[in-house]
Amino acid sequence: MSAGDEELAKDLGPLAALTIGVGTMIGAGIFVLPGDAITDAGSFAVISFVLGGAIALLTAFSASELGTAMPRSGGAYYYVNRALGPLFGSVAGWANWLGLAFASAFYMVGFGQYIANILATYTGVSLYGGLGLGPLVLTGVKVVALVGGALFVAINYVGAKETGKLQNIIVVILVAILAVFTVVGSTRADPANLPAGKGIGPMLTTTGLIFVSYLGFVQITSVAEEIKEPGKNLPRAVIGSVVIVTAIYALVLVVMSAAVEQGFIADLPAGQIAVVEVGRLLLGPVGAIALLIGGLLATASSANASILASSRINFAMGRDRILSPEINEVHPNYGTPYRAIAITGALILVFIVAAPIETLATLGSVLHLVIYGLLNIALIVMREADVEGYEPSYTVPLYPITPILGCLLSFALIVFIAPLVIALGGVVVLGAMLWYLVYARSRTTEAGALTEYILERSEDLPKSAVSAATSVQPDGGEFRVMVPLANPRTEKTLITVASAVAKQRGGTVDAVHIVTVPDQTSLEYAANHLDDHEKDYHEVLDAAKRDAETFGVPIETHTIVSHQSFDGIFDAARRHKADLVVMGRGADAHGSPGRVESKIDELAMDLPSDFLVLDDRGFAPERILVPTAGGPDSELSAEIAALLRQEYGSEVTLLNVNDDVAAGEAFLEEWATERGLADAELRVESGDVETAIRNVASEHSMVIIGATERGLLSRLVRGSLVLDVVDEVDCPVMLAEKARPRGLLERLLGK
Amino acid sequence: MDTSRDASRSDRERDLLAHALVPVATEDDARKTAAALAPYGPARVTVLHVVEKGEGVPDKTPVEQSEQVAEDAFAAFRETFPDAEDHLEYRRDVVAGILDAADEVDASVVVFQPREGGRIVQFLSGDLSEKLIDEADRPVVALPREGGG
Repeated sequence: MSAGDEELAKDLGPLAALTIGVGTMIGAGIFVLPGDAITDAGSFAVISFVLGGAIALLTAFSASELGTAMPRSGGAYYYVNRALGPLFGSVAGWANWLGLAFASAFYMVGFGQYIANILATYTGVSLYGGLGLGPLVLTGVKVVALVGGALFVAINYVGAKETGKLQNIIVVILVAILAVFTVVGSTRADPANLPAGKGIGPMLTTTGLIFVSYLGFVQITSVAEEIKEPGKNLPRAVIGSVVIVTAIYALVLVVMSAAVEQGFIADLPAGQIAVVEVGRLLLGPVGAIALLIGGLLATASSANASILASSRINFAMGRDRILSPEINEVHPNYGTPYRAIAITGALILVFIVAAPIETLATLGSVLHLVIYGLLNIALIVMREADVEGYEPSYTVPLYPITPILGCLLSFALIVFIAPLVIALGGVVVLGAMLWYLVYARSRTTEAGALTEYILERSEDLPKSAVSAATSVQPDGGEFRVMVPLANPRTEKTLITVASAVAKQRGGTVDAVHIVTVPDQTSLEYAANHLDDHEKDYHEVLDAAKRDAETFGVPIETHTIVSHQSFDGIFDAARRHKADLVVMGRGADAHGSPGRVESKIDELAMDLPSDFLVLDDRGFAPERILVPTAGGPDSELSAEIAALLRQEYGSEVTLLNVNDDVAAGEAFLEEWATERGLADAELRVESGDVETAIRNVASEHSMVIIGATERGLLSRLVRGSLVLDVVDEVDCPVMLAEKARPRGLLERLLGK
Repeated sequence: MDTSRDASRSDRERDLLAHALVPVATEDDARKTAAALAPYGPARVTVLHVVEKGEGVPDKTPVEQSEQVAEDAFAAFRETFPDAEDHLEYRRDVVAGILDAADEVDASVVVFQPREGGRIVQFLSGDLSEKLIDEADRPVVALPREGGG
């Protein structure tokens, strides 16, 4: 896409971006919650709103920075997923999605209250009684909420276009109504009317309840890709909308408390809406009507904006395979992501029926507080991990204090919310983690910046952190066997082994032809002049294709130009997310002669995947010998032996060299059973390890031997047994080594 | 450059299908439209997708998703016309987007396949056939749907 197109895709100006935030937030804050807030917290309700605004503002700074660095669909979910990886990405995505659905249900019940109020006041029809609906009893308010919710979902489903300026107009009208309300109210305000504050506890609980009024600013980031000049306009809209609504909330709350007598709000009968009744008192019937209309517009626009935002989150989650991408299918006629909208709509309707309005509000709050906490952590990770390409044009003031405070306060506020609601929020969070582990882990492929950061520094960080990061890494589902090819002579052997393994694991072979060029030649030049370096460079890949196809295994081929062939192999293994690399070892398998062994040394210390290193003696899987003394690397050799046996019906012999024969047999028996090789022949030999292996190997067609924990490097350097055996045995020898995170070498070289 | 342009201009006078601009919506639509167009062997084809923009309000579909839909549609179209050029427009008014694109690529004709669906679906999705024909400043060809319309 050209830069020109990029500009065309962005058509939300600064005002439009601001009104998305203000429009989403103001509906709930002013038109639904103040009555409850004042009843619960007294005059401290004002502090609740200001405190909520302050917490939101801290997160708004972080959201702005992340938004300018990554103006992508999905907003908060996208940042958390990118920074903290898909486990937390799943939590943020589900919390954001369900949080918006709870909030939308809440807005729609608020909408229902306004309709019911209008009908009761002006037509005398009461909707406050219960309506029997099978075993359920629904109030009229909820029935209206359901109808209204269904209507907004339907509008978004068919993608009817709003008038371009509708959102702006609604927000301007709302602000105007509230301005008149505040100005007139302040003339009648009397500090004597202020109810007493009800203490810090109720104030904080109220903050938890009203926090649902501060969800909107994050929805701005979810449409960040559509905002003109996001570097400038996004922070203005995000931060500006929080500041504006906080100011409006505070002023309106002060007026509502001070302009009417104490107890007026607490004593309102059920069904009366506080802000409307105060408006009636201050401005007469016209005021009441204006506020009723305002309430309808506000709750409707909040719900509508939330449904739009949630389809962005679904899209981003589907793109990362945390949800099935099928959820994002676009309707052939309406051009909308109709499935995502329908599911969101169904959730909203279920929530309207299932929960009382306060529960909906606080659930929306809790889930968004979780997201806000994660969002602040995401910012810290992006900064500290020094992620490539992370170049925000707006930066958080007072880093790292602001995000740390934002994170702590967001999580702390959760504590003051009703225990039942916290428990429900916890269910969503745990469910999302479970969802990742059971469903998404095998599908998503991108690890977060945090995982990469931890794995890169695995030597310096606590083991528990490393193993935690490793154990939740996405595995991308498909088993990939990468085969670096340089020498046409070994191609067939390598592809044969790789295809056999890939076939048994239902995976793919990824043949990578590594073209090594001298350091003096730029890689770019070499890539454009491949023929000069190797005339028949594609022949080896063509041969690989033919060989893999005889196994019926899918194969991909790539050519990589590198100065040092091993660097190329390692980079490719990392980038292609290989599970296993099958490569050759020999005089001219890779790189120039004489360099091979020193390069294999490095290989041992920094393995991005499992490695199987073959020599140039071919491949003969009839009778396979696996010498073992336990350890992860010989586990890999056992696994490979088992796979080859499935493919070729090989006979497998396990060998343990042990002077205590009984102990050796007991070990082998258990070891074999655990690895599905119970019916393999078990051999225990005594005496010199090297001699024993050499002797037994002479009865076999092939040896698969695991490197030990110390890796091939130390063995090669010390000239110890494995390599001697490798060179002395006549039959082909495969060396197996398990993946291990980067470590010592990087540290030594200061990489 | 000038001569080739003159040549294409004179071709166009003789040949309606000298350069067809083909607006498509989805992958499926693109595939069907391409199949319907193939028998007429247009000399040059540009496939177009118009991303519907809100122009002031958030779009009904995430932009990145719309762009993905466009890519998929172009790819499906190229199964039949491998050499087709592609063109992406961002517009609130889809018909205006099509006509602007036609102008921009200097198309001799706009070729499209009317969408399927009953009256209500057509109404809700904003049936564009009539508007396109009304407002066009160059020939517009409607391809028959499979099994007739």
